[in-house]
Amino acid sequence: MAFNLKGIRVPPNSATLQEARNRTFDFFRQACRSIPTIMEIYNLHDVVTVSEIRSTISSEIRKNAHITNTKVIDMLLFKGMEELGNIVEHAKQRHHIIGQYVLGRRGLIQDVGDKDQDISDFLKKFYNSNYF
Amino acid sequence: MGLGLLALRSSRASALSRFYRVLASQNPCNGVRGIVSTPELQNAEAAAAAAQPEPTPVIPPRTPVAGARVQFANPEDAIEVFVDGYPVKIPKGFTVLQACEVAGVDIPRFCYHSRLSVAGNCRMCLVEVEKSPKPVASCAMPALPGMKIKTDTPVAKKAREGVMEFLLMNHPLDCPICDQGGECDLQDQSMAFGSDRGRFTEMKRSVVDKNLGPLVKTVMTRCIQCTRCVRFATEVAGVQDLGMLGRGSGEEIGTYVEKLMTSELSGNVIDICPVGALTSKPFAFKARNWELKGTESIDVTDAVGSNIRIDSRGPEVMRIVPRLNEDINEEWISDKTRFCYDGLKRQRLNDPMIRGSDGRFKAVSWRDALAVVAEVVHQVKPEEIVGVAGQLSDAESMMALKDLLNKMGSNNVWCEGNGNLPQTDLRSGFLLNSNISGLEKADVFLLIGSQPRVEAPMVNARIRKTVRATQAKVGYIGPPTDFNYNHQHLGTGPQTLLEIAEGRHPFCSVLLNAKNPAIIVGAGLFERKDKDSVFSAVETIAKLGKVVRPDWNGLNVLLLNAAQAAALDLGLVPESSDSIESAKFLYLMGADDVNLEKLPADAFVVYQGHHGDRSVYRANVIFPASAFTEKEGTYENTEGCTQQTLPAVPTVGDARDDWKIIRALSEVAGVRLPYDTLGAIRARIKAVAPNLLHTDEREPAIDSTTLKPELFQKISMAPFGTSVENFYMTDSITRASKIMAQCSTMLLKK
Repeated sequence: MAFNLKGIRVPPNSATLQEARNRTFDFFRQACRSIPTIMEIYNLHDVVTVSEIRSTISSEIRKNAHITNTKVIDMLLFKGMEELGNIVEHAKQRHHIIGQYVLGRRGLIQDVGDKDQDISDFLKKFYNSNYF
Repeated sequence: MGLGLLALRSSRASALSRFYRVLASQNPCNGVRGIVSTPELQNAEAAAAAAQPEPTPVIPPRTPVAGARVQFANPEDAIEVFVDGYPVKIPKGFTVLQACEVAGVDIPRFCYHSRLSVAGNCRMCLVEVEKSPKPVASCAMPALPGMKIKTDTPVAKKAREGVMEFLLMNHPLDCPICDQGGECDLQDQSMAFGSDRGRFTEMKRSVVDKNLGPLVKTVMTRCIQCTRCVRFATEVAGVQDLGMLGRGSGEEIGTYVEKLMTSELSGNVIDICPVGALTSKPFAFKARNWELKGTESIDVTDAVGSNIRIDSRGPEVMRIVPRLNEDINEEWISDKTRFCYDGLKRQRLNDPMIRGSDGRFKAVSWRDALAVVAEVVHQVKPEEIVGVAGQLSDAESMMALKDLLNKMGSNNVWCEGNGNLPQTDLRSGFLLNSNISGLEKADVFLLIGSQPRVEAPMVNARIRKTVRATQAKVGYIGPPTDFNYNHQHLGTGPQTLLEIAEGRHPFCSVLLNAKNPAIIVGAGLFERKDKDSVFSAVETIAKLGKVVRPDWNGLNVLLLNAAQAAALDLGLVPESSDSIESAKFLYLMGADDVNLEKLPADAFVVYQGHHGDRSVYRANVIFPASAFTEKEGTYENTEGCTQQTLPAVPTVGDARDDWKIIRALSEVAGVRLPYDTLGAIRARIKAVAPNLLHTDEREPAIDSTTLKPELFQKISMAPFGTSVENFYMTDSITRASKIMAQCSTMLLKK
């Protein structure tokens, strides 16, 4: 399928925060629309569901929810577009997608939650690094 | 013919010279070029004559160089001189150069060094003095009342330019490959005071390099014969190894015969050499000084706590250089301090490890290692838990270790080197009470079982300085050893000590006639079984010689390790003297010199430290910790001065700071210590030993020898031993160092 996002570029500036917000929604919808293609080309059906990918995308966007500077939002949107373009154009390989969006940022460590529940903040930081 | 030369010849006829000056100023590019770049310098006398009628501009008072302050012992001794028209008051006996420094004028110099004798041979410090026919060498000229010194006149400038030209005549142009480049006095001063061209066209001279051993690299062609190194070796280090050979252009510095420089202070010649003739051999071609990040820290290889600057590039310590501290190390450091840094890169522990059933260590995560130790520690009885702090431990980690063991129900915790049952109740019993700089006031020294030259070279340098300056007498009781000053070897053991205490020894009269006698007891005696009776004999001598008075406390203990004083202040004293024999759980916090032969075979040993040294062979679990260059830690030196190290480089691998490891272990073991930050642990220290928080301040001990209980213990007649066998290798860092290994094979007298 020919990729139809190619010609779309983030216009130079969002005039207001509302405009930047609308653009973010547009970007999210665009990403959601390309999820079936992504599932197809990276053969992800047996590792993840469409709704899980969708929630990963939304959490990636929500990570920057605190940003109010329209210039920064525009820049982040541009980076998101770039990333989406790369994924849809099959510029990545399967393990990139799995590592980054399926397993998530925390890598392969999955069951730390139950072990670390009753230890102090100091010990959590201690296990992580010497500098805190 | 140069215009300058013409001008010189015509100086008799001022009219003619004025003509040339006019010519020069009107037409600077008239084809005749002098060597001097500034036209008015070409005709110094005439320019000075022309300048005289003009009113001299008012020069605002300047602050003294490097914030120097002058003390007047006697108000009548003050004299007034004028430096560049500005009056300054200086004490009698100051040189012209010192007067200029007080006036805030920095005179360029090569051979002059404030801590060495005056040589006056480089001639760089020439200044003009009114009514003197020639410029005078300010470093050697005493200032006289009413002297009018001019440092900025054409005559002085021309003199400096001339000296620079002569010095550069035979100096190679190899700054791009010279290790001194960027911190070179010759480079800086030729930029500031030199000419922009030279007239020298012949071949430069070359000099054969000398081999001064594994520490100092020599490129003798670069030498400008300032003789600072010769004077340092003979005056401060006290070895007659270096000297000046030959005359005229054949003059060179060298050892008289093919010989290495055998001094524990030899590295300091690198710092005092104003050019790149003497540079550091381990540092050669490793880094440029402008790439380095300097961190002001403290040395931990002995108990003196010399002030150092750790120069690092990225994660690597590149070199260690001294920092000025008049009270402790002046501006020198020992070779062990300066060159031990390569040990920080070898034999490092970087992962927590557990010894498997096959006897091999396996790297594990912190989570697992802490869990294993926490499980074992609960299976032994509280009195079978023993903790030993190492000689490089900081006060914070020792506090945490003591708190952890106390919470477990054990009080068997001590610091190695402090002996079995140290007396910690009276601080005067383990400190250098007359402090390091105070030793200069002493006129008789009695060294008991202490070899300061290898135990604390900086203290030894002070004693030598005192002996040289005031002919102070030194008596020594102990095994035969090397001294670099005149001394009397009184005996080898307690026999002599008792003789002096009973007043039967000829040295008693020396002690009684002394104004400020100083007794220095080596901390090696702490390890003796009969130490209490030895110390009571020493106190008898102190009473006899009136060593302890309200205005002078000369009863000193010279400690061996950086951690000792803080450990005794924090009260790291074991309950019983044979706790190692009955230990089932031994926690070694960097302790490598503990005798583990008597440890039961089934004891569980945890080693926390930064180097895979002696104790690791016996350890069951290893916790990697950070070295002194990687952490912020408090250390108390032998005179009771608290100082702090600062992290210069990041920790290696998965290592953690010492106190953090103990804090984490306490939580895993279920006896959580109540501090999470360095500030909180220091608040805890404040409750135990508040003096450990008064950084860079010396907390003197209150003298209370009269409070000591009477002791009745049999004194054994076994002679005193040596506590430092190999000066270059005393702790885990220096034992891992390659340079220190080279030094011990080449420099130690066998």
